[in-house]
Amino acid sequence: MKLSVEICGVKFGNPVIAASGTCGFGREYNELYDISTVGGVSTKGLTLEPRSGNPVPRIAEGKSVILNAVGLQNPGVEEFIKNDLAWLRSKTRVVANVAGRTLEDYEGICARLDGLVDMIELNISCPNVRAGGMALGIKPENVEEVTRLCKGALAKTPLVVKLSPNVESIAVNAQAAEKGGADCISLINTLTGMVIDIERRRPVLANNTGGVSGAGIMPVALRMVYEAAHAVSIPVIGMGGITCGKDVVAFMMAGARAVQVGTANFTDAYAIPRIVRETEEWLSAHGISDVNEIVNTLRLN
Amino acid sequence: MKELLATVKENRQIAEGIMAITLALPESVGKIKGGQFANLSVGDSAFPLKRPLGVCSVNGNDVTLCYQLKGDGTRKIAQAEAGDKLSVLLPLGNGFDLGNAKKVAVIGGGVGVFPLAAVVEEYAGKVQFYSYIGFRGRQYACLTEVFGNVGELTVVTDDGSLGAKGNAVQAFADDLGKISPDLIISCGPPVMLRALRSALKDNGVTAKCLVSLEERMGCGIGACLVCACKKSDGRNARVCKDGPVFDINEVEL
Ligand SMILES: Cc1cc2nc3c(=O)[nH]c(=O)nc-3n(C[C@H](O)[C@H](O)[C@H](O)COP(=O)(O)OP(=O)(O)OC[C@H]3O[C@@H](n4cnc5c(N)ncnc54)[C@H](O)[C@@H]3O)c2cc1C
Ligand SMILES: Cc1cc2nc3c(=O)[nH]c(=O)nc-3n(C[C@H](O)[C@H](O)[C@H](O)COP(=O)(O)O)c2cc1C
Ligand code: FES
Repeated sequence: MKLSVEICGVKFGNPVIAASGTCGFGREYNELYDISTVGGVSTKGLTLEPRSGNPVPRIAEGKSVILNAVGLQNPGVEEFIKNDLAWLRSKTRVVANVAGRTLEDYEGICARLDGLVDMIELNISCPNVRAGGMALGIKPENVEEVTRLCKGALAKTPLVVKLSPNVESIAVNAQAAEKGGADCISLINTLTGMVIDIERRRPVLANNTGGVSGAGIMPVALRMVYEAAHAVSIPVIGMGGITCGKDVVAFMMAGARAVQVGTANFTDAYAIPRIVRETEEWLSAHGISDVNEIVNTLRLN
Repeated sequence: MKELLATVKENRQIAEGIMAITLALPESVGKIKGGQFANLSVGDSAFPLKRPLGVCSVNGNDVTLCYQLKGDGTRKIAQAEAGDKLSVLLPLGNGFDLGNAKKVAVIGGGVGVFPLAAVVEEYAGKVQFYSYIGFRGRQYACLTEVFGNVGELTVVTDDGSLGAKGNAVQAFADDLGKISPDLIISCGPPVMLRALRSALKDNGVTAKCLVSLEERMGCGIGACLVCACKKSDGRNARVCKDGPVFDINEVEL
């Protein structure tokens, strides 16, 4: 059985990558299982300077979904490079998820990580000065601009642009990333939502709103991955609500070359190794010997 | 630390709105320290998050967690019957380390008594315990015998329906002259922990005080940074991994 996939020249042992923000830098899950069994790890969103994040509560639950508003707490890119990068690279593929407050922040962090990681994934769903405090990921012209700038700062490492679903047209934003020079796109980041504690008449999250993820968002994610994959010719990494091997198969059929798994790690600490196993089982049960064969095989009604 | 599919052995009410669930683990998870906790699955995919519950007692591969019926998740867990399977991730967090302490004051309020019960059982006979346990009223009182068996116990209630009327921190402060503990351990609502910190300061108590904090959690193992608390040096700590037990002077309450 061939489970390995190649994206922008980077070879992943299998198509299941840990989603940014849910697996830290891999060390904690490595206490539960050998983290080298995951296709790759997308790191917690890194910034040039350390960030302490939002007030608590930072997490809430809806039906089959969760909401988070961690607010990019991270030790800063230098601490990551010093303490975690070599270890994580010795285990698996490293996708550095990066964010910034200004365009220069994005450019700077890309330049700093160029050649040090396997891929760089731009998180453009966080508030940015350039977009007047809105996310850069909303307007296609902002998506293209930040992508072009980051691509210009990168000589060696392929650039993944992670698309926000909170937009008018996912296809148009996917094309904007491609035009800006993205080597790959990933989607979806979280949908914006709210949970209310009706007894207190207050939102549960200290931040009032947060990003919705988990099983309940999968149909939306799948539709968006399908639309984006058919709007661009660069590879697509799909995510949003994956909990089992069959979900991976659906995302790959919709056009994803690899997937990421986030919230499912909280529900089942062994989710990723289980999902890899289940994907392999589905493929063998269907007489398929190479996972790449199912990519983009969806036929519309 | 492992995530295991445990079999429910028993799930029964022990006080009004308080349940005790005993889980048979299919294999050993190693030593579980008092103050460590388990992340228990609700057993329904509509609830993606596990519920953090302090380990209350351990007997071989059987683990008992006591929980208050609070929201939809704990109510759903309360419906689990003997023979049902629930996924559980444990043991999590650091737990209470009593070091070389010989005289330990235990201050617990409400659901905070459950993790403390595991601590006094773990150190029974090795340490002299003075426990001050508070409940809202008699109907909510539980596990008092565990504390009574290992040392001196003072039970108080908000309404005076069991023991004296008052709160656990006040009862402890009233006794300070008599017991002079070399360690204080506590678990309970934030208001109680803040009152305890003031009481220690007001009475010039210099003995070390360890408290267990609560925060909403995602992963439970230190990876997602959802469960942040502030240390007094301004840095963040993770309640699930660096805690839940901290020195009372080391964290903002
Ligand atoms: C380390 C630790 C140990 C705990 N030990 C115990 C114990 O032994 N017995 C006990 O009764 N309770 C304990 N709690 C609190 C317990 O986790 C919550 O009461 C429980 O999660 C509520 O779930 P729910 O679905 O009924 O409530 P809901 O309000 O419906 O839950 C919604 C979400 O918020 C979370 N949540 C709500 N309240 C809390 C809280 N106080 N702390 C953490 N998460 C919360 C839930 O886990 C869930 O993810 C502990 C909490 C922590 C952090
Ligand atoms: C607690 C938490 C933290 C997250 N942090 C980040 C982040 O730092 N950067 C980012 O691009 N996405 C972040 N995400 C979004 C996920 O990477 C992913 O896009 C989303 O959760 C959808 O996938 P899922 O349904 O499998 O969780 C975070 C998600 C969660 C639940
Ligand atoms: S719950 Fe994930 S770090 Fe504590």
